[in-house]
Amino acid sequence: MNGRSLLTQGLKYGFVALLDAAALWAVIALLFRGDYILLAVLGIGTLLLNFVILSRRAYPLRFLLPGLVFLFAMVVYPIGYTVNVSLTNLQTGNLLTKAQVIAQLEGRYYLPPQPETFTFWAFRNAQGKLALILTASDGRTFLSQGNELVPVDLSDPRFVRGEDGTVTSFDGYTRLTLPEVYQSLGALEALDLRLGEEHVRLTSVREFGTFLRKYQYLPDQDAVLDLETNVTYYAKEGYFTSPDGVRIEPGFQIYVGFRNYLDVLTNPGIRADFTRVFGWTLAWSFLSVFFSFAVGLGFAYLLNDPYVRGRFVYRSLLIIPYAMPAFISALVWAGMFNTDLGVINRVLGDLFGVKVRWLQDPMWARTALIFINVWLTYPYMMIVSLGALQSISQELFEAARVDGATSWQRFWRITMPLLWVSVAPLLIGSFAFTFNNFTIIWLVTAGRPAVLGAATPAGATDILISWTYRLAFEGERGNQLGLASAVSIIIFIIIAVISAVNFRFTRALEDVSRSV
Amino acid sequence: MRKLVGILMALTVGLVVFAQAPKLVIWADDTRAPVLRDIAREFTAATGVAVEVVEIAYDQIRGQFITAAPTGQGPDIIVGAHDWVGELAANGLLEPINFGAKLAEFSASAVQAFSYGGQNYGVPQGTENIAIIYNKALVPEMPETWDELLEFAREITDPTKPMYALVFQNGPDPYHWFPMLSACGGYVFGTNPDGSLNPCDVGLANEGALRGAQLFADMIAEGLLPSGVSWDTMRALFFGGNAAMVISGPWLVADTVAAGIDYGIAMIPSIRCADGSYGVPKPFIGVQGFMVSSFSQNKILAADFLLNYVATTDAMLALYERNPRPPAHLPTFEIVSSDPDIAAWGLQGQYGIPMPNIPEMASVWGAWSDAQSLIANGQATPEQALQEAVAKIKAALKCE
Repeated sequence: MNGRSLLTQGLKYGFVALLDAAALWAVIALLFRGDYILLAVLGIGTLLLNFVILSRRAYPLRFLLPGLVFLFAMVVYPIGYTVNVSLTNLQTGNLLTKAQVIAQLEGRYYLPPQPETFTFWAFRNAQGKLALILTASDGRTFLSQGNELVPVDLSDPRFVRGEDGTVTSFDGYTRLTLPEVYQSLGALEALDLRLGEEHVRLTSVREFGTFLRKYQYLPDQDAVLDLETNVTYYAKEGYFTSPDGVRIEPGFQIYVGFRNYLDVLTNPGIRADFTRVFGWTLAWSFLSVFFSFAVGLGFAYLLNDPYVRGRFVYRSLLIIPYAMPAFISALVWAGMFNTDLGVINRVLGDLFGVKVRWLQDPMWARTALIFINVWLTYPYMMIVSLGALQSISQELFEAARVDGATSWQRFWRITMPLLWVSVAPLLIGSFAFTFNNFTIIWLVTAGRPAVLGAATPAGATDILISWTYRLAFEGERGNQLGLASAVSIIIFIIIAVISAVNFRFTRALEDVSRSV
Repeated sequence: MRKLVGILMALTVGLVVFAQAPKLVIWADDTRAPVLRDIAREFTAATGVAVEVVEIAYDQIRGQFITAAPTGQGPDIIVGAHDWVGELAANGLLEPINFGAKLAEFSASAVQAFSYGGQNYGVPQGTENIAIIYNKALVPEMPETWDELLEFAREITDPTKPMYALVFQNGPDPYHWFPMLSACGGYVFGTNPDGSLNPCDVGLANEGALRGAQLFADMIAEGLLPSGVSWDTMRALFFGGNAAMVISGPWLVADTVAAGIDYGIAMIPSIRCADGSYGVPKPFIGVQGFMVSSFSQNKILAADFLLNYVATTDAMLALYERNPRPPAHLPTFEIVSSDPDIAAWGLQGQYGIPMPNIPEMASVWGAWSDAQSLIANGQATPEQALQEAVAKIKAALKCE
């Protein structure tokens, strides 16, 4: 074995060792957190990586694996996660797991009829065990033994007194200074001392107080008993609910099956607005892509002409809208389209004396949105078209010219078909992106102008995704993530179908172009 | 092999024990983080407990907290607004705060703003509400009633310049619109006999609200009020001397000073109601403060830090100076109340209503905004638009 392969071998095993060490650390962390699904995924993934790196037979996989890992992490996992959420009732009030809610409720206390407070001295022995001496407001003193508080007489000589007369140590326990008390607060806070029926718990850095337990979980009935009022709250629809319908907050997450999907598909209000929103979404995507491609291609065609001077300068200038962050441009455009104060209406008013109700009238708002989106996206189309145009062989044009084709004919018979092959998939991508372009809609109109009489908050310029946002976050108590996920999955299916149909369509064109 | 496992276990247990040495983690925005770091140094010196102040953009804190807290990775204390309390408490993420004797040091309404379901969930720090900020060079005498305001507006409004008497964010923006609706009795949620809010009693289309909304519609129709005004437009008009007054809050003051405007703060003019009396516009009150996570392992420590180290005049004054809003801590308020701006905000604020903090508020904003935009665009009468909004809110909240 020569030195170089020894080095690569060393690097390889070093890499595997590092990877496995990291994985092992993560596995232990996950084990303690009880996150078994992620644990399984991580374990299987690590074994797979080891196999791929160490096995000779899996050599080609080495180059595919990074891509597959990212595909899983960025695409498969989020979709799986969204599907999972769409089957739950995750929303405001139903965020925690049932176990977390039970733990929280069992940690709730209420004040007894005669609450008592205690000042305390905390002690620790050499083994690190804590002991407490509590003094009640009436002067009675108690010593903690395990979790029990027993009355104690501090005049007993085993209690060693300091200069100020307070107990400083006893039975090998020494008193904690205030900073030491602060360091032990975690342990003190976790203490649940008992004094008869009452619980004695830390209430502040200097005091303990008496409490009674508020709730007890009854596993056999899957219910929570309120020990103060003796009412039983049964687990129902993600809340512990009393027989007369009173719910204990917080609620918990439960699986609700396909209820979110059924809510979307059967809700008459949602169905009524769906057609309108879907129609506008299609029109918005199609018109945006169509016009931005037309404008981009137009510029590209001009700039591709060797007779145009200063092409480089024009090209750079025309890319600026693309280089500007869309957030800024969209907000600037929204300001310029303001009916009363915007510069566009000022110019139109001065020149023609008209006042267009941009962003207030449904049709004009839609026009303005498409205009803004074309402005933002045509440079992309221009760049793409420029590249495609330059790859078309000039011989074809010369041959066509010799055959007497007009420039119009050359464009439609040679340029377009050849261009289409490389550009069509990108247009489909743009279409899918525009279909879900929440940012522009939200920044410019936020889906408005509103539609009078709409059953759901669906404005005239709402596209499916912005409407989803409003349905999920402007309804009930906000953050209906289960419902939002269900709608996202439905939109995902719609886009998948549209894209599939589009790809079929373009594949047909590919065949045509091959036979040119 | 067994030895290896043993070593690993020992290491992990060591880590867990180590993690139990108390340490406070605070999520705060950029205005409060530096002050909190100073307070934390003092706290660490006195108690030996480490405090980590993490700076997070204000509008990110709530969302990140909701994500992080249930996993146990969240902070012990967050800085936030009182209207987050409903959502956070309903999700079981907040720990009630036991003020003890400290309660008397806080403005009762500010503490009330942070309460939900009968529990206090926050230590209030600063309050804020909107009022009129006017340009003294353009307003010779501040109108006291809306009628006087209209008179003044008719005098100086000139859309070609442009010049407006009054501008406020309305594109749509119900927060800045609410004072007009509330002057004669409009409200968002009514109250139950026990003082809690009743989400099924929506008062946004009652007689008083409609009166204010009609005034708004008339001003736009007459050309006295530009519609579709965003935050940027409002600033541009006011700072450019194109608007004599704006309805805005303390957050606009620093930039107003920077723009070189000789400003005054005044009450929003009163609106004449149906019975002939004048109603004072009631803005929403917002309260900012500190909340303790229910997933904190150091709740007592967190409360101790907040009540004994933050709720002091020194600390509250330092927080005030970074971001001057009327303090909710009364001894601190006494000290700063001689500041004319603070006094002026307070004048309007005493009529204010805490913005509802129940999570049901999420259903209100969208429908309410739609109604405002329909009215501003002249697509619907105030009555049509607001009644529809109320119906939508009630439907979203599954009332009746």
